[in-house]
Amino acid sequence: MLPQFLGRARALLRLRGYKPQPVTPKSISNWLNQFDRTDRRLLLDLLNRVIYISEKETRDLLVQRNRSLITELTRQGIPLKKIIYVQIDDAGSSSAAMLNMLKEAALLERRAYAFLDSKDVRGLHEATTKLGDGAIIYVDDFIGTADQFCRSRDFAAEYILETFSEFLLAASVCEEALYALGKRGIQARIGRLHSINERALHESSSLLDFGNKERLLELGRQISRRGSLGYKDLASMVVFYRNAPNSTPWLLRGNVFQKPYVGVLPRTTDLPPRL
Amino acid sequence: MAHSKSGSVLLEPPNDVHSPVVPGGELLKLRPSEIIPSKNNPRHLFDREPLDALKKSIRQHGVLVPITVYQPKGQRAYSILDGQRRHACCVELQDEGLEVTIPANVVEPPTKIAALLYMFSIHNFREQWELMPTALALNTVMTELEENDNKVISKLTGLSEPQIQRCKILLTFPERFQQLSLDPNPKTRIPSNFWIEAYPVLNLCEDKMKDLVQDLGRDGITERLVEKYRAKKIKSVLHFRRIMEAYEVGDDGVKAAVLERLRQYIQDAQLETRNAFDEFVMDNRRIVGAINTCDEFIRSIQRLKIDYALERREVKSALEKVRDFAQSLINKLEGGDPPAENVEE
Repeated sequence: MLPQFLGRARALLRLRGYKPQPVTPKSISNWLNQFDRTDRRLLLDLLNRVIYISEKETRDLLVQRNRSLITELTRQGIPLKKIIYVQIDDAGSSSAAMLNMLKEAALLERRAYAFLDSKDVRGLHEATTKLGDGAIIYVDDFIGTADQFCRSRDFAAEYILETFSEFLLAASVCEEALYALGKRGIQARIGRLHSINERALHESSSLLDFGNKERLLELGRQISRRGSLGYKDLASMVVFYRNAPNSTPWLLRGNVFQKPYVGVLPRTTDLPPRL
Repeated sequence: MAHSKSGSVLLEPPNDVHSPVVPGGELLKLRPSEIIPSKNNPRHLFDREPLDALKKSIRQHGVLVPITVYQPKGQRAYSILDGQRRHACCVELQDEGLEVTIPANVVEPPTKIAALLYMFSIHNFREQWELMPTALALNTVMTELEENDNKVISKLTGLSEPQIQRCKILLTFPERFQQLSLDPNPKTRIPSNFWIEAYPVLNLCEDKMKDLVQDLGRDGITERLVEKYRAKKIKSVLHFRRIMEAYEVGDDGVKAAVLERLRQYIQDAQLETRNAFDEFVMDNRRIVGAINTCDEFIRSIQRLKIDYALERREVKSALEKVRDFAQSLINKLEGGDPPAENVEE
């Protein structure tokens, strides 16, 4: 009983501030009570292996990495006024939110050359041809496989002058993404590299013993028979205060609209629409 | 010979413009991973067959001719100025487990104009290159060099003059329309060719339908064409050519009818291009087809040297049949009857 109590208390403490749905004693109970009593200890253990990145930590990670990148670039002859910051997706996406957060926290406004959306290819073309050379820094909170990032970047890249070096500034990146980034010459400046071994349910992770892992995978399959480990089976365990990535296992997120299974860390899109 | 506004001859542009490669005096042996391909998606650039031949040669002899690379400020890896194919082959060979190094001449990073011109050389290789990035880059080159002459620009960029003309047409459209071709989503993107094909139709409207242009504006008509395209009432942008063909091949009476149909076509979002204009074009096609068939018939008969034939009776009878058929058709055409719809015998 005591270990379970401590496990709950630890989760409550660690996961406070999760915005899509606050993690409360009730939400943890609702989540756990869907499963057999015998499985709850395992589930709590899984929950406490989530790498939660709070708002402050996200901000600090981005600001620190940005600061060291700017220092490095200045040393190499690229001043701040030759740097273009780029958000990857639409306004309202995590990338846009991260860029805004960084802009404010690092006082970048009016110091960097421009802040653009990767969809604004005309803006990117005009900015890069005006500057001649410089750096492009893509900003995001989390990169999983880098599929989505690369799609957006590859489209934009056709409009970018070749003399620009490219960087990715992200609070966390899965190790699978590094190859795709490296192939494109994009240098990643990462707050936290999310290795496969940190992901308890990933098929190549040895974090949990075989029996426990199999049991959790079985419970995951109850929620969703296919793809219960999230996008491309990444089974990522990094969760941000703003949202959980779509590569988070469904066991933690619950079903879409939280029916029939509720999650403890649902994504914003997993929650039922507000009336 | 073309001159820029400043009076300098641009076939011989200033040194910093047409000397993109400044040797850095360094020859390095680099691993494929130390080199990054062009941002302009060079993996889509090359035909498989020649690439395989090059790969085979590199597998046997290594890279014999050094590639040319530069290091953009802030970038750890080298970017390629010349040698995309050799690099692509080496990456594949490395993925297959072969240790390869690439001799590389390291040069200074290109100037802004040289980098732009390099973008053109990459785009020129692309099989299905999008016109829009090229048009934007061309616009920058023309502005930077204050040059507008197609011949000069062709020499600088390696683009053909018709390609340059197409880019220029694209650039005549207001930015808000160009923006529709810059949409990252291919499902909602308006293809660049849409503007190229719509351009003569819009010109026709401007020339011959002044009241409509006054009413809707050229941009208003363009908007309606875009709406029609989105509503799938223009099945292929090439169908715009039918409008022009219908107008150009007709006599004055037909021209007037085509213009009237064009007005209807612009005003009625549901009217599909082929449904609207095929009747004008098809008739013309029938006539051209008939003339060609007559010519071909005469040529074929001439080739048979029938005047040397010994058994002439059957030939004579067949030719009489042709003559009678032709005469009946001539009578019909002279009489203004609809031609040749039921003439199969």
